Amino acid sequence: MATSVYLSNPAIKINSVDLTDQCTAATITYTVEALESTAFGDTARKYTAGLQNNQITVTLYQSYAASETEASIYNLVGTSVSIELSPTAAGLATPSATAPKYTLSAAYLESHTPINASLGTLSTIDLVFQGSALTKATS
Amino acid sequence: MYIIVSPRIGNPGEAFVPAEETNVQALLDAGLISTDAPKKASKVKSETSEQE
Repeated sequence: MATSVYLSNPAIKINSVDLTDQCTAATITYTVEALESTAFGDTARKYTAGLQNNQITVTLYQSYAASETEASIYNLVGTSVSIELSPTAAGLATPSATAPKYTLSAAYLESHTPINASLGTLSTIDLVFQGSALTKATS
Repeated sequence: MYIIVSPRIGNPGEAFVPAEETNVQALLDAGLISTDAPKKASKVKSETSEQE
């Protein structure tokens, strides 16, 4: 059986800022809420599609240098911004069927941890962007 | 008109056209873009060689 694997090395833009070289983890959770529509006479539960409830979580190295993580993220808390992710850097610029680009065009960032430090380790921050419809571009 | 300052946005010095949901104020506050017009290169008069 043929298999295909890829090296996890996604590219990411948050509010048009390319933070790929600070990112170590990213997860897109594409959700369409299930609304129960079971009625009398049914013999099993049934569901129908509700609203999308999407989420992107990312882990970034923290950096306080100019144009780096803290400068790019701090002012976004409490606002809705665009976040773009692709499995490859090329897919971010020119998406294709094998390198799609996923976008939440108005995702809300509720919180940020400006300091998340432990002695002897590189500081990282975890961000959760939620809301907005997910789009997948392949061209 | 916005000008790109940081290479994280694009090529510094080029115009930045924000997408619909871009938080432009956050980019300005972070110094990633500016509202300044690109500076023109100063003109230097070339010396004319005198021929005897």
